[in-house]
Amino acid sequence: MKLLWFHLMPYPELPEDFNRKHRSVWVDVDPGLFDPEVVASSYERYIDQLVHAEQCGFDGICVNEHHANGYGLMPSPNVIASILATRTSRAAITVLGNSIALYDPPIRVAEEMAMVDLLSHGRLISGFPVGTSMDTAYAYSVNPGTLRRKYHEGVDLVLKAWTATEPFAFNGRFTQMRYVNALPRPLQRPHPPIWIPGGGSVETWDYCSTRDYVYAALSYYGHMMAKETVGGYWRRVEENGKDPNPYRLAFLQFIGVADTDQEAHKLYKEPAEYFFNRSLHVYPGYADPPGYVTEASARARYKSQVRAVVRAKQAKHDLTWDEMVEKGYVVIGSPDTVRETLEDVARTFNCGHLLTMLQFGNMSDELTRHNSKLFGEKVAPGLQELFADAEDRWWPTNAVPA
Amino acid sequence: MADQRGAGMSGPAVVYLPGIAGHPANSPALDALGDAGWDVVVPRIPGLDGRSGFQVPDDYLSWLTVVWDSLDATEVHFPCPVVGASLGGMLAADLAVFRPEAVTACVLLAPFGIFDEAEPGLDIYALPTAERMSHLFAKGVPDPFVERFAELGPDDGPVARYLSDVAAASLLWPLGDRGSARRIHRIGCPTLVLWGELDELLPVAGSAAWAEHGLPVEVVAGAGHLLEWDEPDGVAGRLGEFLADFHGA
Repeated sequence: MKLLWFHLMPYPELPEDFNRKHRSVWVDVDPGLFDPEVVASSYERYIDQLVHAEQCGFDGICVNEHHANGYGLMPSPNVIASILATRTSRAAITVLGNSIALYDPPIRVAEEMAMVDLLSHGRLISGFPVGTSMDTAYAYSVNPGTLRRKYHEGVDLVLKAWTATEPFAFNGRFTQMRYVNALPRPLQRPHPPIWIPGGGSVETWDYCSTRDYVYAALSYYGHMMAKETVGGYWRRVEENGKDPNPYRLAFLQFIGVADTDQEAHKLYKEPAEYFFNRSLHVYPGYADPPGYVTEASARARYKSQVRAVVRAKQAKHDLTWDEMVEKGYVVIGSPDTVRETLEDVARTFNCGHLLTMLQFGNMSDELTRHNSKLFGEKVAPGLQELFADAEDRWWPTNAVPA
Repeated sequence: MADQRGAGMSGPAVVYLPGIAGHPANSPALDALGDAGWDVVVPRIPGLDGRSGFQVPDDYLSWLTVVWDSLDATEVHFPCPVVGASLGGMLAADLAVFRPEAVTACVLLAPFGIFDEAEPGLDIYALPTAERMSHLFAKGVPDPFVERFAELGPDDGPVARYLSDVAAASLLWPLGDRGSARRIHRIGCPTLVLWGELDELLPVAGSAAWAEHGLPVEVVAGAGHLLEWDEPDGVAGRLGEFLADFHGA
């Protein structure tokens, strides 16, 4: 099993009364809340934490793309990835996104990701999320009704640009280019592995399984909530005639490790509450732009009362620490407790790539490093032995597992 | 749902292009036109009609093609007057611009098409879904809009409402500006613009942009965005007066 260290790069100093005085952490969040000096020092600290993760024995480090928000300060993941490429030597550089429908022409993404692959000497994992509704429809004003088709066309263009042996013309519905000749090409041939973050739509399960891309289940609400999604994904893999290789799947989980279960409760309560109740304080009006979900997904959503209740609960931002733990949003405890839980999750989910979230909310640098170190030393060894017989065909050519 | 010109219709036709919330029923203003002898023809515009399988056209020109195809499917005999409300007003204006031979007169009811940075109005798609409808009206949501697609049942009704909203939003995203300001000077037919005094989506100040291009604008007191529902008598009266000259034209 591969273990990857995932960073959102949150703004760590949202005021305590943020939820009461501000309606949303995303889209129209007050820019006056962001002290440039705090952002600058946060970048430095967060990049160091990602580099530290490689030293702690993680197989990969992950960055991602969000816009106009306080929980993720990475509008350009490629900028951070390029730094990580030169400051690390072994770990997979996992970029989950680029949200390709946001870029005209998307060939810029092909060029930048190729640069990261070259700078890292072939360690790039190339992620292509559609992007959240907040990022795409609101922060970037992309028409939600055509977003997904533009996204799919963009992925096709990037892949062709990476693999074509000569310049070509591209006559898409959303992008037309007389000359496509993206240089440089990536180091990995035919191209870096493709991972697709998703939230549970049947279309994305089919897209990943039929094209042999990794499906990355990126809910922030933990393993219990993800059972339905993961089960649905594997059913579609089988129905599409693909093998159940565990490395087809990546799954994200918030984790807090301490010397004892009691200490874990004490250490991780505050950063978890900060994340779930401040960083996820999103105005519900930004959640449902018409056209963002397909007709099939809309139909499924209207039939699912369970999800409606969950959404309503999340929208109220009244999660308690006990709920976060009981519902598995956060897996915390001693190394043994955490390892047993995650091993069970990995086996149940048949999941070969675990995206660990070991920094969240306003977690201090000291606690983040403690969490990473304990996980690397006492949790990871037992997990990395899992699925040893399966071939990971979605791992970068020159990334060396711990 | 939407009426189409049927074989039994024999009077002069007026085409109606519906607004942001689709066309659950004829408004009292349209009924008044019918009482005055008009055949009111409402094309079934894909998406707005809630039918399953709708795919958003790639761009605005493709959208216009879809709308014009739906107009042709009504077999209405052009030229004739055209009334457009909200986003239908934007489409009606472009019909008059691009197909002047088809339109004898044009009534635009709070048309989208020109975004006013100084008075941007309410972004209805940045509201929780359940709250959106109430902002279209100044005097409460009329029953046909409350019950929109309810006849399809609890499974299909919400999906039809969603698809109708998808179609409308895709025509308007992100600002409801499709460049009308750069071409409405080409409208050659007699045109009347009516605007709700209390329009939350398109504040009445934005009507000045249409007036600047020589189109007469009249403000309807006490009305919101879908003004024909808020002030049925006032709008019906002006519609009837304005279109009377084109009866049988």
